[in-house]
Amino acid sequence: MKQSSQTPLTHRVGIDIGGTFTDFALLTDGQVTLHKNLSTPQDRSIGVMEGLGKLAEQQGQSLEIFLSQCEAIVHGTTVADNTLIEMNGAVTGLITTAGFRDELEYRRGFKEDIWDVRLAPPKQITPRRRRLTVPERVLHDGSVHTPLDEAAVREACRKLKLQRVESVAISYLFAFLNPAHEQRTMEIVSEEMPGVHISAGHQVLPRAPEYDRTSTTVVNAYVGPRVTAYLERLVTRLSEGGYKGRLMVMQASGGVMTKEYIDGAPIRVLASGPAGGVVASAEVGKAKGYPDLLCVDMGGTSYDMSVVIGGQAPAEAGWNMHHRYLIGVPMVKVETLGAGGGSICHVSGGALQVGPQSAGSEPGPICYGRGGTLPTVTDALVMLGILSTDKGFAGGGFQLSRKGVDEAFAAIGAELGISAEQAAFDCWRVVNASMSQGVRRTTAGKGIDPRDLTMLAYGGNGPAFAAIQAEDLGITRVLVPRTSPTFSALGTLVANPTIDEERSLLAKANALDVPKLKALWQSLCERAEHHFKAAGFATDQVRAHYQVNMRYPGQNFALTFDVHGPGTLGDLAFADAALGDKAIALFNARHMAEYNHVREHEVPEVTGVRLVTGVQTPSPAFSAGFTPRDDAPKVAAKRRANLGQGFAEIPIYQAADLKPGHALTGPAIIAESFTTIVVYPGWRAEVDQAGDYMLVRG
Amino acid sequence: MSYELNRKLAARRDPLATSASIDAVTADIIRGAFETVCFESATFLGRAASSPIINSSNERNAAIVDANGRLAMGAIGTPHLTFVNQMVTRWGLMNLERYDWGPGDVFLGNDPDHGAGHLPDYCVYSPIFDAQGELICIQTLQAHQGDTGGKDAGGFSLDAVEVFTEGVIYPCLKLVHRGTLRNDVFDMVTRNNRFATFAGDIAAMIGAVQFAVKSLQDLLIKWGGETIKAAINHSIAHTERRVREEVAKWPDGSHEATVLIDHDTAGTKDIKVHVTCTINGDQLTVDLTGTDDRPNLVGVWNTFANTRSYVMTQVVAAMDPSIVKNEGFFDAVDIIVPEGCIAQPPPNKPAALGSFHPACEITEAVCIALSNVAPERSQPQLYKIGMPNAVIGFNEAGMWMDQGVDCRSMDVSAVQGIDGWGACPSALGSLILSEAEDAESRFPILNISREMTIDGGGAGQWRGCPGSLNVKQVLAPTTAMAWMVSADHPLRGMCGGDDAIPYSNYFEVGSPNERKIEQTAQALLPEKAVIAYQHGGGAGFGPALARDPQAVCEDVLDEYVSMAAARDKFGVVLTGSLEDYSLAVDAAATLALRTKMGVLV
Repeated sequence: MKQSSQTPLTHRVGIDIGGTFTDFALLTDGQVTLHKNLSTPQDRSIGVMEGLGKLAEQQGQSLEIFLSQCEAIVHGTTVADNTLIEMNGAVTGLITTAGFRDELEYRRGFKEDIWDVRLAPPKQITPRRRRLTVPERVLHDGSVHTPLDEAAVREACRKLKLQRVESVAISYLFAFLNPAHEQRTMEIVSEEMPGVHISAGHQVLPRAPEYDRTSTTVVNAYVGPRVTAYLERLVTRLSEGGYKGRLMVMQASGGVMTKEYIDGAPIRVLASGPAGGVVASAEVGKAKGYPDLLCVDMGGTSYDMSVVIGGQAPAEAGWNMHHRYLIGVPMVKVETLGAGGGSICHVSGGALQVGPQSAGSEPGPICYGRGGTLPTVTDALVMLGILSTDKGFAGGGFQLSRKGVDEAFAAIGAELGISAEQAAFDCWRVVNASMSQGVRRTTAGKGIDPRDLTMLAYGGNGPAFAAIQAEDLGITRVLVPRTSPTFSALGTLVANPTIDEERSLLAKANALDVPKLKALWQSLCERAEHHFKAAGFATDQVRAHYQVNMRYPGQNFALTFDVHGPGTLGDLAFADAALGDKAIALFNARHMAEYNHVREHEVPEVTGVRLVTGVQTPSPAFSAGFTPRDDAPKVAAKRRANLGQGFAEIPIYQAADLKPGHALTGPAIIAESFTTIVVYPGWRAEVDQAGDYMLVRG
Repeated sequence: MSYELNRKLAARRDPLATSASIDAVTADIIRGAFETVCFESATFLGRAASSPIINSSNERNAAIVDANGRLAMGAIGTPHLTFVNQMVTRWGLMNLERYDWGPGDVFLGNDPDHGAGHLPDYCVYSPIFDAQGELICIQTLQAHQGDTGGKDAGGFSLDAVEVFTEGVIYPCLKLVHRGTLRNDVFDMVTRNNRFATFAGDIAAMIGAVQFAVKSLQDLLIKWGGETIKAAINHSIAHTERRVREEVAKWPDGSHEATVLIDHDTAGTKDIKVHVTCTINGDQLTVDLTGTDDRPNLVGVWNTFANTRSYVMTQVVAAMDPSIVKNEGFFDAVDIIVPEGCIAQPPPNKPAALGSFHPACEITEAVCIALSNVAPERSQPQLYKIGMPNAVIGFNEAGMWMDQGVDCRSMDVSAVQGIDGWGACPSALGSLILSEAEDAESRFPILNISREMTIDGGGAGQWRGCPGSLNVKQVLAPTTAMAWMVSADHPLRGMCGGDDAIPYSNYFEVGSPNERKIEQTAQALLPEKAVIAYQHGGGAGFGPALARDPQAVCEDVLDEYVSMAAARDKFGVVLTGSLEDYSLAVDAAATLALRTKMGVLV
């Protein structure tokens, strides 16, 4: 094994933990190396260290030397998501304004299915006995209407201690405008309940309205201790292993930041895995000349969709419902459908349906041969010949089996009066349609025409459906990166350190208190400067986008846009007397683009300022371009399959045989490691200079 | 504008003539695409509109009606609006040439005597033609507007005896001709509305409909008109079949229910809604014969279209929720509404308040009747509030109204196996309510409290969700309007469950002028006046003495239920203290108490 006394910082490592696999992407000398390691659910940091050890081995280094040469380790974690799925977070209590004890339970009236009177409520993180109120009140202008009753706070602490509360959320009305009461409450809670985890609304989500902020704060309190403890363990292990840098953590906003920053609001790591995939898509698409993307990720249980415009994956704060709780922090917008390879096909009320129930990975589809008995989308793909039952599926020793699959679809066919193969084909059609409609909903209200986008497909099952779905949506190009099965890890590697925060105010745009706006931006700049410095970045490396949230009076959804940027951190010279007019003009242009009208007789209002800051860090270079080769790719085999036009003998290509410059015409199937790419009739596949696939219609 | 017109509007419509045949999967794919278009349209409106009734309370609905006037395939929005929009559209359809329908047109209708729900529910719609010029379908979008230009700001007049008092009436008004906005018409419509942001809201509705029309035209190109028509026919027929299958599972028989409204807005007591649900094989008939028809009643007239819709809202709740909501329900269910009763009033009756009552009592009565055959899905889909405290003021921009914040927990009854939960019954679960911080930033009000009231729900084997007590202060002189009901006759329990608690409402709390609103109120509240509205909560399901004692103990710990109610209503004896969370069920004492109360556990 190669040993070195020098410690040049040559490595950057991206790590993404999933339910089954922990994915790694290593950037060294401009080259990306991928690795998959089994996750270790009992302590996921163990799997991380095992995987890093494997990467070190691949580099011919000891783990210690390898880690000492790591400039950055960037990490995406599902700890927060798993905590919410399993509902095993900290025992959480809430202290809130008197009179507002039940906002979490009201959920602003929202119910997920308005037609089902038997819909059960979400499990409460803070049952009513742990939602306690104290007299205090701040008004909408930040003034104090009722002083904080400190004795009541101490009494609330006594009650929460009796209930063995481990984490306390504090959320008062209008604390985002005047946090004094929340700050004093934090002090009292620290005194009365030493060691307890504390989350305050004005820190976690400093914006209106109260349900959104309280829900976000409570979820933060619930997942916070587990996220923090996990990251602590990982930092310790990395440090013991020889890593001297700071651990950077992926956020749902699509940026990464230090563990210390995340500790302030651990909820920011929720849904960061899907965000990583979108960030990687944006980078790959941009590098290859396709900045406007529809990103689709079909895994075992879900189908995630997102839109990238201009090479950007913008994060939106607001009505993000996750695991039946509202999470208001900025998140890369990813819509999820319960349509994955494990989604169960069934007949309900005489109609064929796919999902939302899933066979998961255990027992999984029937064809996994692990005891599954219910037919799934993956089983339908086996029936249709799209997936192979030959040895080597999923890139390893795993082999799919047809045993039991025919019978399951025959049963469905019997209910519908059709053959088993027709039943499988109809399942394929249903899941396609469901995904297409999901895409339409993802673009709903945004004025985006899917036909203007390039599809980028990833995840184990995405490339099997991508082209046919693209056809349905009028999309003519589908990009399938060869690295697509480990895309989220790649995303953590390419994501830049980012801080995206906002402060609320309400002001008519034609009568802005510019010094007040400047003061708010200034406070955000100072926070950003502090955290970037701590992460080792100089202030002049930070690029800042100064944004405002604006709406017409009464609108509930503000539009957010740059009024200045990219600019220098702390340089607020742009905020002058003309700011209001500039903002109104920019807002009206956005409103026209979004909603096809401008209200000539109404003056829009500013509802908040936002600062998005980031530092550019090294990313892999993604090659582009397609130069045809003279030779035709080798057909490895033929298989009877139905690619939408009835069963026929379809040529199968092995990925290892395909070189940059190769092109092939559908119908065809490409067997890649961990995934299967289907080239549907009327489509053509080109292998570009990087070995990535571009499927082209016509 | 007559009963005869109502009969014509409600008459069953034929399937669309089409040369295409279609398989079930293709039909379902097209149905999904139609629903997505409706979702897009409703989302567009929710984001672009300014009225809190639309963008916070989401009181809007997008649906597609076919060329024969049938609710085509699914809809997105509030169920109480879902089943009404085809009626207002049918009036336009019956007068295609008279109103010069053509591609690119957008119409407005809100006439209660020409198929509409009530005056504030503006229905904006646009026809879609195929390449050959054949009308295929109509995109509709309904939304409740904050004003209708009538006598009283807000669209509700407690003393109205005719519809003209309530505002401006549009049977079918063309807003956009062949793609061009009719500025004269638009200005006239917006001029006749006090609401400060109305012009923007109606522009948003037009934009949302046009957005949907573009998507539907794309679908027409993709599938062709004949296939689309076949898909609509298939979807409606499929729904009818599934509804009949559900009904066929229920035992034959007739089940009656009577629900009383405390009083009309003039004080006449005990207004009666009577419903008979008859199951005969696969045929369900809902008959409102016996419902009050006293001609001098005030404020309790529900339009014919609304009555059909509210009946159907409860019928769909009693069935498998996966059945697609379209005209098939009306094809499968007979609804009999006597002419001249409060559920089908004579022409020109005021209609605004009828959407509260008797509309909700119609729904409640259907629920009670159907609880005999579908107890597991018997949750009334209604709001028993007379009307929310409409707090209305004016500023330099025009009229404002704070409404949403009043609507916290109310009327969420239990169903078999599930306690009432959330802020409203399932059907209203798309109403994303505005919040105190939103309202206080816009209007001169202060929200003091809106917590659930202990023992504020009906007891039962599964208990109703406690109603909230909403207390707010006006910070400037402000008009407040109220109509109080559901005090004498609160929301009814199901299958042996207790009724919800009565509603109550107080104005100028804590001042020498403090008063309980017994019937109606329309008052100018002075600065700093406090109003307090107790919502009735949900009713219980099943006998309270059958509730799991441990669940009662948990309820006491959570302060949904008091120690006294645990003992007196649920027959549960607890030991320990709520103060230190040491409560536990005394099993022996509970058994003894329940035995004494008449139930062996």
